[in-house]
Formats: sequence, C-alpha cells, structure tokens
Amino acid sequence: MGVTVDVAYKSLNKFTEVLCGDKVELLQTEDSNIMILADGMGSGVKANILATLTSKILGTMFLNGATLEECVETIVETLPVCQVRQVAYSTFSILQVFNNGDAYLVEFDNPGCIFVRNGELVPIPQNIREIQNKKINEYRFKVKKGDALILMSDGTIHAGVGQLLNFGWLWDDIADYAVRQYRVTISAARLAAAISRACDELYQFRPGDDTTVAVMRIIDRKPVHLMTGPAQDAKDDRGMVDDFMSGDYTTKRIVCGGTSANIVSRILEKPLKVTLDYYDPDIPPIAYIDSIELVTEGVLTLNRVLKLLKRYVKNEAVTEEFFLELDKPNGASMVAKMIIEDCTELQLYVGRAINSAYQNPGLPFDLGIRQNLVEQLKHTVEEMGKKVSITYF
Amino acid sequence: MKVTICIGSACHLKGSREIIAQLQNLVKERHLEKQVDLNGSFCSGNCVNGVCVTIDEKLYSLKPEDTKEFFETEILGRL
Repeated sequence: MGVTVDVAYKSLNKFTEVLCGDKVELLQTEDSNIMILADGMGSGVKANILATLTSKILGTMFLNGATLEECVETIVETLPVCQVRQVAYSTFSILQVFNNGDAYLVEFDNPGCIFVRNGELVPIPQNIREIQNKKINEYRFKVKKGDALILMSDGTIHAGVGQLLNFGWLWDDIADYAVRQYRVTISAARLAAAISRACDELYQFRPGDDTTVAVMRIIDRKPVHLMTGPAQDAKDDRGMVDDFMSGDYTTKRIVCGGTSANIVSRILEKPLKVTLDYYDPDIPPIAYIDSIELVTEGVLTLNRVLKLLKRYVKNEAVTEEFFLELDKPNGASMVAKMIIEDCTELQLYVGRAINSAYQNPGLPFDLGIRQNLVEQLKHTVEEMGKKVSITYF
Repeated sequence: MKVTICIGSACHLKGSREIIAQLQNLVKERHLEKQVDLNGSFCSGNCVNGVCVTIDEKLYSLKPEDTKEFFETEILGRL
C-alpha cells in the first residue's frame, strides 16, 4: 500500500530579525517525500545563509542519490567559516518517507524528532554514527497511516527560558503538548501552527531565537480535481468534464466558474443550485451540484484563493487568525482550506475560452486573468510540497 | 413568480450583491415571500450589459440604482 504525506511548517523569526536563521526544504522524488530542517548558527543574514546552503545542499544531493557521508562532507567543506566563532556550523534534520512506508531519519544537533503513533509518543532509538567528527543519529523505520513526525529547531526548547520558564520548554513537555495537539488537529498545518503558537506565547511574542516546527503526517492519498473555465472549443466540453470526473471515491472535485458550473451541470444532467448567501461582500455565493464537493464563481474567487495560499506559503501570519479566515464559509476560504488541508495532489482542468464581455474596460477588475491565476496557483501549491498538474482544454 | 439574479463574475462586479439585498428587503417589507421566489444563477450569458435578472425566463438588465423601480413595475406589476 502506498503512503502519502501531509507536510507543513511554521517559522518564527528571532525578535527584530527580518530573516529567519532556520530553513525548511520540502522535496519530492519519484518514490519519496523529503523534509529537511536546517538551523544556521547565530541569527539574521548569516544564519539564514548557513541554513539555506545546508538545506539546499542536502536536498540537491539527496535527490541525486548521494550517500549521507558525501552530503555531510560537502556541507563541512562548503559552509563559510564564521569570523567570530571560527567554525562553519548549521544543525540539520532530514526525514525521508518512501511511498512503500519505509522511513529514514537523520539528525544532527537539532532537538530530537517527535514521533507520534496512535496518539502515543514513540521513542526514537540512539544509533549514532560519526561522520567528519560530527555525531549523527540515524534511524530507519516503517511509518503507518496516522503517524505524525515533528522536526524542530532549538528555538522551541528555548522558548521562555529565563523568563516564563527557568530552563525553557523542555523536550518532554513539548512532546506531551504535541501528542495532545495531535489528537485535536487533523492537518500538518494546524499541528505546526499550534506548537509554534505555544512557543510564541512562551516567548511572550518576542522570540529569543529563530523557532521552527516542521510536521509530516502520514495520510491517505487525497487527490483534488479543480475545473475552471470553459473549453476553447465547446466541442471539448464533454471530454473536459469526463476527465474532471475521473478518479475514484477518494477524489474531491471543485468547480470554479459560473459558466464551467453550467457546463458540468448540463453534461452530468444534474441541477445547479446557486445560493444567495453572501458571507463576504467581495466573493460571490457558492452553488451546489450533486456529487461535486464545491462549486464557486471563478476568477474573483480564485484570486482570493491565491492570496490565501500565498500568505500560507510565505509563512507570514499563519496564526490562529489565518485558520479562522480559512474556516469561513465563503467560496474562496473553502477552496483554499480544501487545498491546504485536504489535498495531497492537485489536478487542474483549465479551459482557455475567452469571455468577450470580460474585455470590458469599464469593469473594476480584470477578469481575463484566469490562465495567469492558474499558473500562479500551480507554483504556490507546489511550494506547499504537493504535486500539481494542469491540463488545458 | 421566480426571479433569478446572476451572481457570476461580471454581474458580481456590476452589483449583484446590492440588487439581491434590495430585492430581499423589498420582498420582506411587503410580505411577498410566498409569491416571489428569489434565486441565484451563474452566468446567464449576457455579461456585456448590467446585472442579468430574469423573471420567469424573461431577461432584464439591471443597475443597482434601478432596483426599486424594477421591483415596482416588473415584479409588483405582474403579481
């Protein structure tokens, strides 16, 4: 059985710093997902460069099948040496989960990975190997559906040190909190946000160190099909709808677009029911078609969806408020929520037809930007570590 | 009587929301909920003019400021 992952992370910058000294890389190979967290020494620009170099080198080399020894050697030889401390240093954790359920964890000097299974904490055994004078812990294991794995930078265990807590937030206490949050959150995004929020509070919203929480949850595949825009040639309508309706019972389907919704309704011979409930003055109400999860207006809704997803990917302000926004019943929040929390791969079915009425310069918004929105959507969702493909009609 | 207001992209930008709110109020004020059935629709295919409103299949093109007059002549006038 193939496993799929839901990945998300959240970073807090050290108070007053513009750049974060922690860096997370999310990568995919043909048969695995990789999550890398690097924490560069110090803070600000220097730390950011160290962490970025480390995570990028590890990611690129791993993708190309290099051994751990080769990766570590390259990092040691490449990182610039700090003028003050005379060392080149960045800690890192690597988690690779293969589609067949095999998992590989590598840890160097970060707080240990928190591993939750069936609502219980699972200890990760010590298996230390020395490479280039660095003590590196390696662990090979099998993951199961429902498992959660949490990588952290040391900003988490230092949260509140000397202020609210004498010795910071101890690993055992974070793990305990993570287990409790694991039970009440469904997505990786919410679990990462909950832990990072707790750190922020312990720091009294002035983090003394860059703080990052990266979460991987093992889940079932969750394909989402999104159709937007009518086909350039109306003869292709049926083919487009057939493709859009392909998939199995796990596939969720979204239609974004009034004309598209009419086409789907006509071809499936199922009525389209449009509501009049405005939950947001800028987003037209949603509609219903039996067997389609979500039906919304097109370009205005997608524009807002993209804004929400970009906010999420940029990792700025992904707080409780962001999730409250995501839980709102307007079409855009509903689409964004499904893509962030209920989707592992996104298949876009995009029509290229141009509505001549949209070329009207009297409209306060350029409605002829569907393809541009779709391309941006693809890049943004890919940055979230999900597979995206587009079929044009 | 079935009144359908388009809430597609172009009509939305031209003020469907305001028209819907006004019509809902007018219908409520005069207790016509049983006689006038307000519905939404996606793109009625006439995006070039005002907001598309249909009464029993007959298409009208509306601006928000004309809503009251439309209600009085077209809707009340037909009841």
